[in-house]
Amino acid sequence: MAPMKSLGSIRRDFAPWSDRDAKPYILFDGVTKQFGEFKAVDDLTLTIYEGEFFALLGASGCGKSTLLRMLAGFEAPSRGNIVIDGEDLAGTPPYRRPVNMMFQSYALFPHMSVEKNVAFGLRQERMPRDQIAERVDQVLRLVKLENYASRRPDQLSGGQRQRVALARSLAKRPKVLLLDEPLGALDKKLREETQFELADLQHQLGTTFIMVTHDQEEAMTMADRIAVMDQGKIVQVATPEEIYEAPNSRFVADFVGNVNVLEAKVLRAEGGRMSLEAAAGFTIETVNAVDASPGQTVFYALRPEKLRISGEPLTGSNVVAGEVWDIAYFGHVTSFRIKLDSGEIMKVAMINATRVSPLQLTWHDRAWLQFDDDAGLVLTR
Amino acid sequence: MNWRLSRFNVVALVFGFSFLYLPILLLVIYSFNASRLVTVWAGFSTVWYRELWNNAGLLDAAWVTLRVGVISAAVATILGTMAALALSRYGRFRGRTLMTGMVFAPLVMPEVITGLSLLLLFVAIDLDRGFLTITLAHITFTMCFVTVVVQSRLLSFDRSLEEAAMDLGATPFVTFFRVTLPLIWPAVAAGWMLAFTLSLDDLVIASFTTGPGATTLPMKIYSQVRLGVTPEINAVCTILIAIVATGVIVATLINKRRDVRRIRDEQMAAGR
Repeated sequence: MAPMKSLGSIRRDFAPWSDRDAKPYILFDGVTKQFGEFKAVDDLTLTIYEGEFFALLGASGCGKSTLLRMLAGFEAPSRGNIVIDGEDLAGTPPYRRPVNMMFQSYALFPHMSVEKNVAFGLRQERMPRDQIAERVDQVLRLVKLENYASRRPDQLSGGQRQRVALARSLAKRPKVLLLDEPLGALDKKLREETQFELADLQHQLGTTFIMVTHDQEEAMTMADRIAVMDQGKIVQVATPEEIYEAPNSRFVADFVGNVNVLEAKVLRAEGGRMSLEAAAGFTIETVNAVDASPGQTVFYALRPEKLRISGEPLTGSNVVAGEVWDIAYFGHVTSFRIKLDSGEIMKVAMINATRVSPLQLTWHDRAWLQFDDDAGLVLTR
Repeated sequence: MNWRLSRFNVVALVFGFSFLYLPILLLVIYSFNASRLVTVWAGFSTVWYRELWNNAGLLDAAWVTLRVGVISAAVATILGTMAALALSRYGRFRGRTLMTGMVFAPLVMPEVITGLSLLLLFVAIDLDRGFLTITLAHITFTMCFVTVVVQSRLLSFDRSLEEAAMDLGATPFVTFFRVTLPLIWPAVAAGWMLAFTLSLDDLVIASFTTGPGATTLPMKIYSQVRLGVTPEINAVCTILIAIVATGVIVATLINKRRDVRRIRDEQMAAGR
């Protein structure tokens, strides 16, 4: 087996989180936010570094928006501290914080032109008129809206409004830019384009971005690191690649992307290898061992695209047979659902690398699945 | 769909509108009567409007009414808007329901009771009844109407606009005057118009809280009618109707324009 490439950041030269001497830029220290009996954020500790594009990912109600609103100053933590660049923000009202926010609804002032919207924050700073004009021009150029300065928000398309909102939140050159579901209101095509633009913009400016999203794809394509949240707690903080390929729990594996989770018992564990007895009735050989003793129940997480499918019987280890239960053709991939003989459903994704697939499987055909010994991951929780 | 009116609909429409507007129409017509006898038509004339101009008593009353209306409507609009903001902003404080109920209670409170209780208060604190007390009383009873109008606007107000303003460095004070007020002003203006109109035609509360030297137009009209209806009264009433109608129409138009604009915005947003 070839040595596994280490999982890391796409920006290879940027990884302050693995540098012991790096100074945290934003620090949540034991932050709890309680609404009555409900804990929206529960004793959460998190560090974010300067220049990072950080994503808070989770389902609605997981506390990610509350976390962002506490950073902006719209909510006060019930317990714990929030520090930005060495400054404790407790008691600092929203209008004195060195952060700016891009709202999910954009919150553009409908009674002001694009130019006035963007200049609003600068005017509050009492910046001289000529400097305001210069800065407005500069940020509008940045989002390619320099020809729309005199328009009102209601005369713009959804994508243009999103850019105005972005320009307005960038105009004051905040230390940290907060983005609340920045692409949520755009249609799919526009969202994909904007993802790349936003990531480029962040690299270009070097501003620390913190984004809240429920869309894993958005988080994966843009962020340097992702924090997956559930019920007010952070389940895992890692780079997109690590989150996908090395999730620390079934929750993360299941939340990000598609996954087959097989319940299994440990048979043997030695020399970094493990043998598992799947509840579905076959043996799993894996090189990705964890600290578990024989007899213990674990979970084997296997991504659909890491399985090979065949209409002929396969030999070797990590083979399991079943019946084709469902086929969904997506163009670039074909997704199969295979019902194993034990009754469990396995999801398999096959890349359509050629125009005519050599594999001619149809409903209720017999199919064989195989995976490599480093394809899946053993999880204990 | 058949858009033509059936005979039944025409009859219903004519009957309904006659019921509502015939008395008023009659009053307007007779204000242009040349005869001194109210019920006998003697040709068109504007003589009673000229007479009105020389009737110092009625003119005085009209001037008092106008001042009371403008001042009380202005103060009621400020207080009512503040109450509406408090009620819609401070989410769930203890006794919120009670306070909401208490703000709206004067809407259904019999005017006689409002008037009497205000009179008792003014007597108790030994405030001389007159212009000031009428104005105070009118502020009290019109304020809740303003609150209702402004609060309904605030219900559909996007709070994130205010958050955005504060996020960009605007203090709550600046946020209110630069963002909130410009966006809710049609409702505030409509509230002022409503308060002014209500103050203009109030008889009961003014009667309770007035004193020597401060007679409002409705009071003057009422006292004169008891001595017999004169064409002058018809004329002054016609002018009042014109003012109130203008007020209501302007308030409606302000709100309508906002609605049309909002609908257009929504359509543009939906159609991108």
